[in-house]
Amino acid sequence: MIVKYFAYIRDYTGAKEIEIDHFPTLNDLLLKLCERYGSKFRNKIFSNGNLSNEIIILVNGRNIVHLQGLDTCLSSDDEISIFPVVAGG
Amino acid sequence: MLGFTGKLLRVNLTDKTIKKENLNLEDAKKYIGARGLGTKYFMNEVDPKVEPFSPDNKLIFMTGPLTGTLATSSGRYEVVAKAPLTGTIGASNSGGHFGPELKYAGYDGIIFEGKSEKPVYLYINDDEVEIRDAEHLWGKNVFETTDMLLEEVGDDARVACIGPGGEKLVLFATVMNDKHRAAGRSGLGAVMGSKNLKAVAVKGSKSVQVAKPKEFLEICKKSRKMLKDHPVTGGGLPTYGTEILVNILNQSGGLPTRNWKDGGIFEHADETSGETLTEKYLVRNKGCFGCNMGCGRVTRIPEGKFKSFGEGPEYEAGWSYGADCGVRNLEAICKANFICNELGIDPITMGSTIACAMEMYEKGILTREELGRDLPFGDDEGIVEFTRMTGLREGFGDKLAMGSYRMAESYGHPELSMSVKKQEMPAYDGRCLQGMGLEYATSNRGGCHVRGYLTSPEILGIPAKLDPLVTDEKAPWLKTFQDLTAVVDSAGICLFTTFGIGLPEISEMLRTAMGVDFTDEEVLQAGERIWNLEKLFNLEAGFTKDDDRLPDRLLKEPMPAGPAKGLVNQLDVMLKEYYEVRGWDENGIPTEEKLKELSIK
Repeated sequence: MIVKYFAYIRDYTGAKEIEIDHFPTLNDLLLKLCERYGSKFRNKIFSNGNLSNEIIILVNGRNIVHLQGLDTCLSSDDEISIFPVVAGG
Repeated sequence: MLGFTGKLLRVNLTDKTIKKENLNLEDAKKYIGARGLGTKYFMNEVDPKVEPFSPDNKLIFMTGPLTGTLATSSGRYEVVAKAPLTGTIGASNSGGHFGPELKYAGYDGIIFEGKSEKPVYLYINDDEVEIRDAEHLWGKNVFETTDMLLEEVGDDARVACIGPGGEKLVLFATVMNDKHRAAGRSGLGAVMGSKNLKAVAVKGSKSVQVAKPKEFLEICKKSRKMLKDHPVTGGGLPTYGTEILVNILNQSGGLPTRNWKDGGIFEHADETSGETLTEKYLVRNKGCFGCNMGCGRVTRIPEGKFKSFGEGPEYEAGWSYGADCGVRNLEAICKANFICNELGIDPITMGSTIACAMEMYEKGILTREELGRDLPFGDDEGIVEFTRMTGLREGFGDKLAMGSYRMAESYGHPELSMSVKKQEMPAYDGRCLQGMGLEYATSNRGGCHVRGYLTSPEILGIPAKLDPLVTDEKAPWLKTFQDLTAVVDSAGICLFTTFGIGLPEISEMLRTAMGVDFTDEEVLQAGERIWNLEKLFNLEAGFTKDDDRLPDRLLKEPMPAGPAKGLVNQLDVMLKEYYEVRGWDENGIPTEEKLKELSIK
């Protein structure tokens, strides 16, 4: 799996992109990433055990709110993108 | 009623007369100000069938009741005329400091009529208003013109002007103010040029009064706090600017690539992103009048063949020169965008028109001989050089100055123009963002992203999370967004405030500034009234349901890859529902009942 980070999430990860072993669900993956990047990253991603509303996560380009949220199943060739909520126009 | 100065300037450029008249407060109450009120004045006075470059086309500068007040991000004003690029009503909004200064001089707006024989500019210093000779400014670019005028009238003035693009009637010329801020779309700078009006320089020493100062201050403070605390308006926009959208649109598969023919994923997107701009070229951020977001970018390319200094690019300009032209070199993108500001042309249409020419070159429709050079996708020098040539109407730039539709049509290939009502669509692919497709098709000024901005719920999840790939609910959401953006543009505050505040806060600012007891619903209904008025203009100008459409590429060529793979835009499904939601008949014409409900007739 490939995980891509954007905007100030990169400040927490020190990387734009990583390859990582397969995890069965998005929640499993995020817990692993929190373990790797520590509390600042965790506090951005989760809020009271739920996905923070300041974060947008895409799996293969689809926002997980239109998939199965944190329970979204992952495949080994999936691409996961993690953004802070941003806007412009 | 307060919030307004209550006075307008009427300047006849043919007979050189200047009149000061009272603002029509009845219309102001119904159409709020700026975009709405400017359009109402225009509709009252100008035949919708007028030729855009005729002296009979008027050019209106109009502020809103919140412009220049303590309301957040209240530097906005509107320029209104019949638009040369589209033939629709033209209404373009700009920030900076010019709008507030006009109010401080004592005027809510200016109506320019007729045409001067020779180049002139309008000088305003409170009650002193003069039409002055501008022969010495003609041919000067936006920065030179602004500097020369500030030298001439004093550097405490604010200047709105045109560059060579407007003088040479480039169909997508802008009106520029404070050097870098643009009333950008649909060619209103060319209308100004057709009148031989080079600039307006204004100085004001007065203030703007509001009806309920204490309550107004309270809601302004509350709104500012909400914007400061919001992760977008208090974090993302100040840090990265609007170019931050490149990666999320690209990852979502909605970043139109190479004149929209290669789908919505650009393989070099990150090289052109807001993150890269911030890391490599950002000098500092910059805000307009009264803004605590400061999304503006002051940028410098320190060395090399694209060495330059300026402001921007915004997301749409970065996209048009970047993904749409297949260009990965952010230095070239910045440089091309700076040239647009200098010459006074719209970078969205400019980059998109070059992208169209690139596809025509690739297909052998345009040749090296005709262009004067090769123009493949990805040509970083090409975007810079053809932008310069277009602003000055040199060589093939003379054809690009018509915009992509007329240029491609002149070679028998209008289908290669990615435009609606002859105005180029910006940076969101309607095959991926179904609602944005409907928005482009129904926008009253042709292809445009700020007549609704369904990107916000479809991609960014603000204020709700709509699935971009489906058509469900898009019509009613779009109607609400179109009406709300009409309110915001008319109030005189920045559209970006709506990422952090909403109708309740905006309505309360209007109530306490104007002293009118609107309900929130009545404020939103004023937006609907404005939208319907614009629609009526277009209908009377000759537009029909057949013009509410998208390029065939979006309707017939499925997305080649990404999450929207295999999809086209389902316009037919959404358009029918949209007309119903609007209370229009099956031909997209507002019914008598609807017009009566809105007190338009």
